[in-house]
Amino acid sequence: MTDRPHTAFAFYWRNERTILGLAMILLILLFWEGLSRGWWADLLHPLFGASAEKLRVRPIFISSPTAVARKAYELYFVTGGIWRHLATSGLEIAVGLGAAIIIGIPLGLWAGRNRLASYALEPFMSAFNATPQVALLPLVILWVGTGFACRALIIFMLTILPLLINAHAAVQTVDPRLQRVARSFSSSEWRLFTTIILPSSVPFLLAGLRLAIGRAMVGVVVGELYGSAIGIGIMINKAGVLFQTDTVFVGVFTIVAAGLCLTELVRHIEKRVQIWRPDAAEQSS
Amino acid sequence: MKKMGTKTPGKKVMTAADGQSENKPRREKTTERRTAGARKTGALMAGRERLIVGSVSVGLFILVWQLAVTAHAIDPLFVSSPSRIVMTARDMIGDADFWRDLTVSAQEYFYGYFAAILIGIPIGLLTGWYRRLQYLLGPLIDMMNAVPRVTFLPIIVLWFGIGIWSKFAVVFLGAIIPIIISTYAGVRTNEARFLTVARSFSASQLKIFVSIILPGTVPFIFTGLKYGSGRALLGVVVGELYAATAGLGHMIAEAGNTFQTDVVFFGVLVFTLTGIVITTILDRIERHFERWRPRAGGAA
Repeated sequence: MTDRPHTAFAFYWRNERTILGLAMILLILLFWEGLSRGWWADLLHPLFGASAEKLRVRPIFISSPTAVARKAYELYFVTGGIWRHLATSGLEIAVGLGAAIIIGIPLGLWAGRNRLASYALEPFMSAFNATPQVALLPLVILWVGTGFACRALIIFMLTILPLLINAHAAVQTVDPRLQRVARSFSSSEWRLFTTIILPSSVPFLLAGLRLAIGRAMVGVVVGELYGSAIGIGIMINKAGVLFQTDTVFVGVFTIVAAGLCLTELVRHIEKRVQIWRPDAAEQSS
Repeated sequence: MKKMGTKTPGKKVMTAADGQSENKPRREKTTERRTAGARKTGALMAGRERLIVGSVSVGLFILVWQLAVTAHAIDPLFVSSPSRIVMTARDMIGDADFWRDLTVSAQEYFYGYFAAILIGIPIGLLTGWYRRLQYLLGPLIDMMNAVPRVTFLPIIVLWFGIGIWSKFAVVFLGAIIPIIISTYAGVRTNEARFLTVARSFSASQLKIFVSIILPGTVPFIFTGLKYGSGRALLGVVVGELYAATAGLGHMIAEAGNTFQTDVVFFGVLVFTLTGIVITTILDRIERHFERWRPRAGGAA
């Protein structure tokens, strides 16, 4: 590379991605803050006259970054009111997603190994996959009410499919050569399963898990649409109805953070599990 | 030199940004391989077996459901029954209210989805092509991808009211993110060899884009479109369950409140059929665009 005299410049070139990304986010936050404080309306008033007033949005509609930050601080550290919501929603995810993992992955692996089971399950899988499962919410409420069971069941319904489908697909992408070698050395089915099929399925299973985590977040929000108990989705909904926009944003950002943390966790596990794999890049191409 | 340096981080982001687009193309490859294998052993038998076993299992499921209700083993108030659902379907299809709800939902769906396609694909192509634009928008898109967009519903309803436009916004937001991410990933994963060849024959940037990048991106775009259509449907349902005055989701919610389980099931079935039809249409269009590609499975 050509030598650059200015160190500031060199710093920029090395960190261009981070700098630009941060700059954009800061710009948006600034724009947002300005909207609720009427900065832009004041600024453009001489130019456009009264029509600039449209840029003065009442805080009740969009809140502002500072208001959201203040509210977040209050909810997390002063009143601590958000923790019980988080605990309830966390438990819902743990139960719903846990059940989906316990049922979905073994069922998918089994169906992937067993041709007839796979044929029998396929129509149901593709039909259920094409359905937006949340449409079943009214039925679920009829069955189990609007309480904890409803949320856990909705999360379960949303998350089982990606797990099931990926487990099913994973088994069928196992290198047939490896299986043939194992068979010709008269390996038992169980041995074949634990030493060949399971290890090579892991990336698929984890990809399914990552999808499932995203769905679980949807499930938390949707499952808590009705009912008036506690939970992060309910906190958001209630605040929305009461025009407490800052609380809504605190809830939304909390869900974003939770989703990112869980996804990061899965990625970490993925890296751990994949260490033995000779060349990950080659595998994926 | 510079291009080579940027290649790796770009790729890393693609896999980091989106787990969804990773597994989909692979899955397609499997089915291809499977059918290729089946063809060798006797395609007719295998194909028929799949059809027979599949329909038997579905038929059995419906039969057991129906018998359980007829034998009073389970209460039809909670689970309805296949015969009741068919009767309801017949009634509903003749009902003007149903068609009005369907029209409203269809409008919300298609407006939102088409707007997402029209804006999402160009953004995906541009962020894939211009590195700096990706630096600017990448964090934002990743962040949006991490939230279920339905979380924004309370705010969106605050902004747009409970009419059709709030649903439009939810559908749009739901569908656009997977479309952008998939398209972006498609541009970034183009075969480096082709680019090198084109460059060494001094092709213009435009030519490279049109004749190499765009065709290579098509399967990714369709993956994104398929995910997007699912998200759009989810947006319609959740939006209408949350707050609406008309639409299929609204119909389902009302029916649930009044214990009309057969209407709920019928509504869900309509959504299922819509999902299947749209995926099939997208598959058809994709196949049309992909006709030029030599069979990957046949060569291997």
